[in-house]
Amino acid sequence: MSSGLLQIHDPLKPKGQAIGIDLGTTHSLVAAVIQGKPSCLPDEEGRFLLPSVVHYAANGSVLVGERARAMAPEAPTDTIVSVKSFMGRSPEDPSVQRMGSYRFAPGEKVVRFDVAGGQPVTPIEVSGEILRALKRRAEAHFGSRVEQAVITVPAYFDDAQRQATKDAGRLAGMEVLRLINEPTAAALAYGLDKGSQGHFAVYDLGGGTFDISILELVDGVFQVKSTGGDSALGGDDFDRAIAAKVFEATGESAPSPARIAEVLRAARRAKEALSTADTTTLEVEGHQQTFTREDLAAWIRPLVERTGRVCRRALRDAELSADQLDGVILVGGSTRTPAVRDYVAELFGREPLGDIDPDRVVALGAAVQADLLTNAEREDEVLLLDVIPLSLGLETMGGVAEKVIPRNSTLPIAAAQVFTTFQEGQNAMDLHVVQGERELVKDCRSLARFRLSGIPQLPPGAARVEVTFSVDADGILSVAAQEQSTGVRQEITVRPSHGLTDEEIEQMLLDSIDHAEDDMAARVLAEQRVEATRVLVDLEKQLANFGQLLSKEENGAVLQAADRVRRMADGNDGHAIKDALQALEHASQPLVERVMNEAVSSALTGHSVEEY
Amino acid sequence: MSCWNCGAPSTPGPFCEGCGKVAVRQITQTHFDTLGLPVSLEPARAEVEKAYRERSLLLHPDRLAGAEGLERRLSAEQATALNEAYRVLRDPVRQVFYLLKLQGIDLEKEEGGNRQAVDPTFLEEIMELREALSDLREQGDLDAAQSLASRVKTQQDAALADARAALGQRMKNPDDGEALQRAARSLARVRYYLRFLEEVADMEEEAMS
Repeated sequence: MSSGLLQIHDPLKPKGQAIGIDLGTTHSLVAAVIQGKPSCLPDEEGRFLLPSVVHYAANGSVLVGERARAMAPEAPTDTIVSVKSFMGRSPEDPSVQRMGSYRFAPGEKVVRFDVAGGQPVTPIEVSGEILRALKRRAEAHFGSRVEQAVITVPAYFDDAQRQATKDAGRLAGMEVLRLINEPTAAALAYGLDKGSQGHFAVYDLGGGTFDISILELVDGVFQVKSTGGDSALGGDDFDRAIAAKVFEATGESAPSPARIAEVLRAARRAKEALSTADTTTLEVEGHQQTFTREDLAAWIRPLVERTGRVCRRALRDAELSADQLDGVILVGGSTRTPAVRDYVAELFGREPLGDIDPDRVVALGAAVQADLLTNAEREDEVLLLDVIPLSLGLETMGGVAEKVIPRNSTLPIAAAQVFTTFQEGQNAMDLHVVQGERELVKDCRSLARFRLSGIPQLPPGAARVEVTFSVDADGILSVAAQEQSTGVRQEITVRPSHGLTDEEIEQMLLDSIDHAEDDMAARVLAEQRVEATRVLVDLEKQLANFGQLLSKEENGAVLQAADRVRRMADGNDGHAIKDALQALEHASQPLVERVMNEAVSSALTGHSVEEY
Repeated sequence: MSCWNCGAPSTPGPFCEGCGKVAVRQITQTHFDTLGLPVSLEPARAEVEKAYRERSLLLHPDRLAGAEGLERRLSAEQATALNEAYRVLRDPVRQVFYLLKLQGIDLEKEEGGNRQAVDPTFLEEIMELREALSDLREQGDLDAAQSLASRVKTQQDAALADARAALGQRMKNPDDGEALQRAARSLARVRYYLRFLEEVADMEEEAMS
């Protein structure tokens, strides 16, 4: 991977206020901790919710939010709504084909919306526009630059979707301090607010997705115990359930798309009315229907019960029973429906908490996390320990997915599994990384494929390839494979096969307006400092293990060159660090060669002649 | 090895004792070292939880936001080790396997497990249990499967207690090879019980969804 994309903390550079962003499917919000309290930031007209809609005009201008939404009826193909549903998805994904009436540019592996005003845009770029609008809102609020953000993602987002979200943040010119799961953010907003201890369930029902998380808060440590969800269940399904009843009443068996849209809009209004009223009357052309809160509760009961099964599984994964919980937190607009609240109360045997606006609670929690990560002066000691939502594994013989890291493992985590060759003369191994809970590879999400070559030609079963998965605190995976007898090694950070390449993102970064303000020299410096650190740590390890292979003079030369790298890294000239690194590479050449020889000869002596 | 920051000699724990910075993780660091707990035959869940929280607050990368790149990287490595230590030592089954590993026998490694001779009568017993379970799975009789599981769980607990007792002897007397073998044999049986119980858990999960 290109090192140009590494993000680092440079203590010398003032970062301004760090913000929290809830990048939602229908709307997005930005919040920040101001004088110790998290609050959402309004736009200049006092609105908190920014519709997650982006319009591309023929003259090349880009509109975001209300003004973009106003353009949707007249320019549906140039106005992208619900872009979140496209994040990290491949063009072949059936859900991509189903959503909206967009024109797609013919593209190999990446979804590209063919919009007015220039080049086709990817979901990452569209999300980047939304993030940029929120960033500008925060900058206007604080009167200074904002460069760091915590962005929330659904707990059920897989690696590809998380990567895409992080890329969108970078594209908007921000350092993404952390991606956190939406339910976790909500708990953070509540937990710190109340200074409480114990176990909490976060029940998050949005328009199209459902998430549940079980968390434990003890002595300032917020530990996610389990998560679960259903990525195809939400309040929109309630609207459909109502619409079905309406069509049943009118006897329309094959309504037109326009008619369906009309009835769905009316259904949504009726549902919202029933959040406060006991009865409502739904009116569409040629039909009028009055129904009660109880009617609605009965119609959506099967849908609501589906959330119950997911909740029970999450409790089980957390090794808890419902009565051991100390609180249940509601998140998402769909939890305003009384039938949902009643069901949650029944399921968990307690009244849910709802005193923070369910629309804002996620952004508030993200702001808290941003503050925790950047504000060294905080007096409370708080740490958030999140989990990986979906199991990670490798394809093995017969298309079976072998789990390497099980779901709900606390992050960061690393795990290794040893595989072997199965064919005579096999000198390479293809590795296919998948994510999901199902047994078969074809039912899991394919994340990446790569090949470990240069395996010594050993009899089947004799080569031992250790594959190590490491998942960082954002839930993003890197994979390394090493053949154990020879030390042949390969490492990748998983870039999902249908995502954008680093080069493409880099290009977009270069094209983006915000980037033009960036100082290239500072970037080179930042990159080279990271590289210097990496090289020095590796060198220390190599010297500790193999230092005896060097003569005194050689050793002295290596140490001298290393020292020079260290001094240059303390300075401010990126190119000087680069030169010092090159000199160090040269000085450590003998060490590298001898370590290789050592590895090869020990590999040879480790096997009897008959084996070859 | 010495500390990357102050040069003080390295110790097994995750922090340098000289300057308090996060240390380079040592290969010799055991899960007990990682958590700062004494090696114990039966680490108490509450103690493991407490040590884990305290250490996480100290060395998780999120708590070192102001630190430089190198220390942050080291802290990520240490936090990974800490999570692993926590996963193993908080679990009453995994902790015994780990104690056996510290005594030199790693049953998780495939060859180690296969080499462990298992009593043929025991194997016969397990086969019968698995056949019974697969019948119940076909019939969808979760209740019967669960009662079978609770019987197996009792046997597993007994085998685990045997292993723990044998390991206790071995830890008192490092020359007691017989005790070590007994521990390994008992744990080899636990592996079979575990797989059986996992299958019942799968069945429960299927029934829930």
